[in-house]
Amino acid sequence: MTAVGDILPEFVVDPVDAEAMKEWAVFLHDPNPIHLDATVVQAKGLGDRVINQGPANVAYVMNMLAAAFPGATLTAIESRFVDNVYAGERVVASGAITAIADGAVTCTIALVAGDGRPVITGTASMRLP
Amino acid sequence: MATLPDLPPPPDVAGMSLDGTEPFTVDAAENAALCRSTGVEPAADGSAHPIYYFIATQVGMGKTVAGLCAACDFDVDDGPMMGSSAVRFARPIRIGEPYRVSGEITGLVRKRSRKLGVMDVLDYRLRLHDAAGAVILEADNIWVLPRKELA
Repeated sequence: MTAVGDILPEFVVDPVDAEAMKEWAVFLHDPNPIHLDATVVQAKGLGDRVINQGPANVAYVMNMLAAAFPGATLTAIESRFVDNVYAGERVVASGAITAIADGAVTCTIALVAGDGRPVITGTASMRLP
Repeated sequence: MATLPDLPPPPDVAGMSLDGTEPFTVDAAENAALCRSTGVEPAADGSAHPIYYFIATQVGMGKTVAGLCAACDFDVDDGPMMGSSAVRFARPIRIGEPYRVSGEITGLVRKRSRKLGVMDVLDYRLRLHDAAGAVILEADNIWVLPRKELA
C-alpha cells in the first residue's frame, strides 16, 4: 500500500460505547454532561443519546492509520469536526493516499457514522519506517 | 460567514497565555485503558497513543476548558463545540515522561453562520515540551462558541 490513490483499510468501531465516554471524561479531565447524561443532551436539543468526545473520534482515525502503515510514525494530522457521534452508533474510519515523497505519505482521512453521515474530515502525514 | 461590525466585539483575548504550571505525564495504565477503549492494544515500544497530543495539552495548559471559555466571556454550559484540531509531531509522546505545556490564544473572532447564528471562533495554539525544553509537538485548536444571546 504505497501508491497515490490507494484506499486504506477501514477501522470500524461498532458500537460506540457510552461506558467508554465515562472513561474519556476522566482522561480529558472534562466532565461535560453531554458525554455522560442523555437527559442533558435531550434538554439541549442535541439528540437523545450521549455524544462521543471529539478526541475519541480522532483516536479511531489514528488507529486506522497505525494499522494501515505498520511501524510508521504519525507526524501530522488535521481533523475537522463536522458532526457528532452518538452512543450505539457504528463508525468507520477510512483514508486514501494523496502523496508519497521523501519517506513520508500523506492521506485524506475521514470518519463516517453508520448512516453515512460525515463526522470527521481531514488530512494526515506519516513517516514510513 | 461574515464579521459583524454591528455587534459588540468579543473580548480581546488574543495573546493570552495558556502556559501550564504543572507537568503532565502519561500513565501506562491509563494509556492502556484509553487504547482499549478505542479498540486497540497499547504499543509495546513505550509510546503513548498519539491522541495524547490533545489530552496532554488540554489537561496541562494553564486553564481548564471552563476557564478558557470564561476568559472568552462564554459559559461552558452553553456548549462550546470543537471546530478543528491540527497537530504536528516532532516525535511521539512517551509514557512516563514529564511534559510541560506552553501556549496562547491566537484569536477570537465574532461571526455569523446560517446554521449557528452569531458565534465566536476561538483559535489557540499549544505546545508540548519535554524536560529539556524541546518542543515535541504543536497543536492548533479551533472552538466554536455559539452566542445565542446575540442571535
